[in-house]
Amino acid sequence: MLQQWLDVVRLRLRTFFRRERVEAELDRELHFHLEQQALENVARGMTPHDARAAAQRSFGGMEHVKEDVRDVRGTAAVDHIVRDLRYTLRALVREPLFVLAAATSIALGVGGNLAVLSLAQEFLFAAPTVREPNQLVEIRQGGNSAASYRRWKDLNESGALSSVAGYSIERAVNWYSGTEVVSLIPMLVTANFFDATGVPLARGRGFSSGEADAERDPHVAVVSHSFWQGGLKGDSAVIGSVLMLNGEPYVIVGVLPDRLRSVSGYGISPQVYLPLSRSLTPDLAAPHASIVNLLGRLKPGQSLRSGRVELDAAARRLARIDGDTTMAGVQEFERNGIPRKILPFFVLLAVVSVLVLGIACANVAGLLLARATTRRREIAVRMALGASRMRLIQQLLVEGLWLALLGTAGGLAFSVVFMQFVNRVSLPVPVPIELHLAPNGVVLGGALGLMLLTILLCALAPALRATRVALAGALKQEEPRFTNRRFTMRGLLLTGQVTVSTILLVTAFLFVRNLARTQLADPGFEVAHTLVAQIGFVQSRSGVDRTAFLQSAVERVRALPGVRTAAYARGVPLTIRGGSTNGERVRFDGRTEAVHVQYARDVVGPDYFATLSIRLLGGREFVRSDEPGAPRVAIVNEEFARRYFDGQSPVGHRFRYAEHDAGDFEIVGLAANSKHRTIGEEQRPALYLPLAQHADGLEVAFVLVRTITDANVLIVPTREALGELDRSTAVEIRPMRSALAFALLPSQIGAAVLGSLGTLGLVLAMLGLYAVVSYTVSRRVSEIAIRVALGATYGRIIRLVIGDAAALVGLGLALGLAISLLVTRPFTMFLVAGLSASDPLSFGGTALALALVSLLASWIPARRVARIDPALAMRLE
Amino acid sequence: MRPSDLIQGTLDLLILKAVATEPRHGWAIAKRIEAVSGDVLQVKQGSLYPALHRLEQQGWLRADWRRNETGREAKFYSLTKAGRTQLVEEVTQWERLSKAIQLTLRNA
Repeated sequence: MLQQWLDVVRLRLRTFFRRERVEAELDRELHFHLEQQALENVARGMTPHDARAAAQRSFGGMEHVKEDVRDVRGTAAVDHIVRDLRYTLRALVREPLFVLAAATSIALGVGGNLAVLSLAQEFLFAAPTVREPNQLVEIRQGGNSAASYRRWKDLNESGALSSVAGYSIERAVNWYSGTEVVSLIPMLVTANFFDATGVPLARGRGFSSGEADAERDPHVAVVSHSFWQGGLKGDSAVIGSVLMLNGEPYVIVGVLPDRLRSVSGYGISPQVYLPLSRSLTPDLAAPHASIVNLLGRLKPGQSLRSGRVELDAAARRLARIDGDTTMAGVQEFERNGIPRKILPFFVLLAVVSVLVLGIACANVAGLLLARATTRRREIAVRMALGASRMRLIQQLLVEGLWLALLGTAGGLAFSVVFMQFVNRVSLPVPVPIELHLAPNGVVLGGALGLMLLTILLCALAPALRATRVALAGALKQEEPRFTNRRFTMRGLLLTGQVTVSTILLVTAFLFVRNLARTQLADPGFEVAHTLVAQIGFVQSRSGVDRTAFLQSAVERVRALPGVRTAAYARGVPLTIRGGSTNGERVRFDGRTEAVHVQYARDVVGPDYFATLSIRLLGGREFVRSDEPGAPRVAIVNEEFARRYFDGQSPVGHRFRYAEHDAGDFEIVGLAANSKHRTIGEEQRPALYLPLAQHADGLEVAFVLVRTITDANVLIVPTREALGELDRSTAVEIRPMRSALAFALLPSQIGAAVLGSLGTLGLVLAMLGLYAVVSYTVSRRVSEIAIRVALGATYGRIIRLVIGDAAALVGLGLALGLAISLLVTRPFTMFLVAGLSASDPLSFGGTALALALVSLLASWIPARRVARIDPALAMRLE
Repeated sequence: MRPSDLIQGTLDLLILKAVATEPRHGWAIAKRIEAVSGDVLQVKQGSLYPALHRLEQQGWLRADWRRNETGREAKFYSLTKAGRTQLVEEVTQWERLSKAIQLTLRNA
C-alpha cells in the first residue's frame, strides 16, 4: 500500500519536474510502436517505404495520442498555465496605462492591509523577548495590575509555578550624565527577574538572585542597547562602569540586545533595568502597596489551567494569612495576553482597511470588465474555434494573477516603507517606545493571502461575465449600442464603491473632527503662557524638606523678569502625572450617612489657581499656612458642588472620610471646572488638597510658571534658577503645550490613521469613477455624435453624461450615508464628549466632498466627448 | 453504465491481464489482446497509450526500459503488487457482471 503510494507520488513529481524527459520517452515509446507496425507490414510483403507509410496511416494522429496521454498524466494543465502566463503577459505589456492603474489600485489596497497587519502583530501578538515565551504568563489578582512586594515574594516561594517574577515601570530616577541631570524611567525588577524570564543579554549578565535582593539595597544595573549607544556613547568598557543614579553609584553588569521586546509590551523600552530596592521604592515593605506587575513561569509540563488553579489556591491561602484580601485569587492568567484596551481600535482598523481593499478590487474589476467588453470579438473567435469556457476563464484569471502579483509586490514595498517610518517615529511619552515592525513570515503570508483574495475579487466576476457572450453577435462586432440598461454590472460595482467609500469617509471625517475638537477644546486652564518644570527628587535623601524646597523654587522663579506667578503641584492635568481618580465614601458636615463621591484628586500648592488661570468662584486659594498640623483644608470645583451640594456654595462646609479617620476637612474654596485626565472627558468633580499636608512619598513634583510674554523665552532662565537650588535634582522644563502632547496623542493617532485610510479610499473610488465614466463615454461616442449632429448643445451632452454618473453616485452616496449611521454608532467610545457619532457636519462634509469629486471625475471625460466633431466620430465606426 | 465506461473499464482489465504473465511493451500488449481474443478485440493506439499511462500513474503498472528480442530499447510494462490485487478484483467484477448479463439474456 505504502509502496504504491510512494510510486504514485514519485511519478507525479517526475511528470511535473522532468517534463522534457517524460515527453522524450513518450515520443520514443510511440515511435517504437510505429516501427513494430512497419516491421509487421514488411513481413507481410510490403516494401519498407510503403510499410512505414501504412503504419503511419493506421496509427492516426501521433500528436493527438500524445495530447491524450498528457491529459492523463496531468501535464496539460501545467502547459496551459505556462502558455497563459506568457500570452497574458504579452497582452498586458501592450497596455501599460491599464496595468499601472490596476496595479496601483491593488498596491494601495494591499499595502494598507499589510501596514495594519504589521501594526496588529507588533501591538497585539508579538511575544516579549524571553526564554520560552509560551511558558510565561501574566498574572493579575483581584483587579489589581500590581501586587505588593511581600505578595510577590510569597507567591514565588509558594511553589505553585516554576517561578514568579515582578517588574514595575512607574518610578523615575535621576541620572547624572556628567554634564546634566536627566530623569529616566527605569524598569525595576525583582531579584529573580532575569532567571525567571530569561530575557537575553548582549553583553555581561543579568542580575543574580543573590546580588539583587531588594532588602540588601543592591546597586547594580542593566542598560538597554539604545541607552548604551546613545546616553553612554557606545562605551566599549561599559560592563563594570558606574552609572550615577539619584546621586548613588550603580555598577553596570549587562547590556540588553538590540531590538528587544520588553515584557511590558507596547514597545515600551526602559533605558535602565534596576533591582527593586529600599532606596528606590521606600514603600517596599508596605503590605498593601502596589509595587510590581507579576509574571509567572509554568513548571515544565504544567498546563496553563493547572498553573492557574495552583496559583489561585496559593494566593487564597496567602490572603487568609496576611489579610490582604484585595489580592486574593487570580483574576487573569494568560500567555502574552492581547491588550484589551487597544483591541477595539484594531478591529476598527482591520474593517476599514478591508473596505479599502474592497474599493481597490472593485476598481480593478471595473477596469477588467471594461477591457473584456472591448475584447468580446477576440473571446468569441476563440470560443468559435473550440476553446472551452473553462480555458478562457482560466486565462482571464491568469491575467488577474499578473495584476495581483504586481500590485501585491507594490503593496509589500509600500508596507515596508511604512514600517521603517513607524519604527522611526518618536512619540511624546516619558518612556522610550521602540517598535520593531518588520516584514516577517506573517506579513509575507498575509501578502500571499491578500493576493489570492484579490485575484478572486478582481478577476473572477469579470471572467465569468466576459465568457458569457452571444457568438454570432459578437463576431459581427455588434454592440448593444443604445442600451438603456441601468443595472449593468459596472454600474453596480460603481454604486458599491461609492457606498463603501462614503462609509470610510464618514469615519475619517469623524476622527479628524475629533482631533480638531480636541485641539481646540478649552482645557479650562492657561496653556499658551505656561511652563512646566518637572522636578525629580532623590529618594534616598529623605532628610530634605521637599515642601520647603518647592517653596523656595517657586520664589526664585517668581523673581525672574517676565514671570507673572508660579506655583508647585504634585501633578499636571492632562499629562500622565495628572493626579489620581478616586472613589470614596465621605460624610458631609458631621452627618451619619456616608455618600459615595467620585472625583479627580489634585494635590497643589499656594497660588495654583492663579498660575493656571482657573477662576476661583468663592473662598480662597491654598496659602503657606495650610501646612502640616494646621486645620485640614480642601478646594472643590463647580462640578463637585453641583453633584454633592446641589449647586450651593460648598465653601465653609466640612467632610470626613467614612473608611479611614483622617479628621475633618474644611472646604475653603470653589474653583471653576477644568479638564483633568483627558481633554475629551465628561466634566469630572475635582477635589484639591494642599501639598504641604499631603507630601508623603513625594518623588516627582512640578513647578508651574505663568509668564507674561512668550513662554519659550523663559525656559533657559527658569532652568538656571532651579538648577542653582540643588545639582542632584533632575529638572526638565517644557512649555505646557508640549507637555500636553501626550493627552492629544490618541486622537492624533486615530485621526492620522483613519484620515489617511479614508483619503486612500476616496482617491481609489474616484479613480474608479473616472475610469468607468471615461469608458462608458468612449462606448457612446457614436450615439453622442448623432445627438450632436441632430443639434444637441454642448451643455445638453455634458448633462447627459454627468446625469448618468450622478444617478449611480447618488444611489451609492445615499446607501453609504444610511449604512454609516449604523456603522459609526460604536465609535462613540473613541470620540470626544459632545461629538456625536452621527455628527451632521461629518456626514454633510462627506456627501459634499464625494459629490464634488465625482462631478469632477465625470466632467473631465464628459467635456472631452461633448467637444467631439460628429463627422469624424461617425467615420471612425 | 454508459458504453464508453464499459469499454474503458474492460480495456484496463485486458491490459492488466496481458501483462500478468510477463512484462510486455505497448505493441506486444495490443498484439497479445488481439491474438488471445482471436482477433475479435482490436486495440487502437489512441486508447491504448493513454490507458497504459493512466494505469502507471495509478500505481498498478510499473514501466522500465529494456531491450526486446531484437535488441531494440522498448518501454516494458509489468504488474505491480497493487496491480495484481486490482486484476483479481476486476476479474471477479467482470465475471459477476457477465454472469448477470447471461442470466438476463437467458431468462428475460
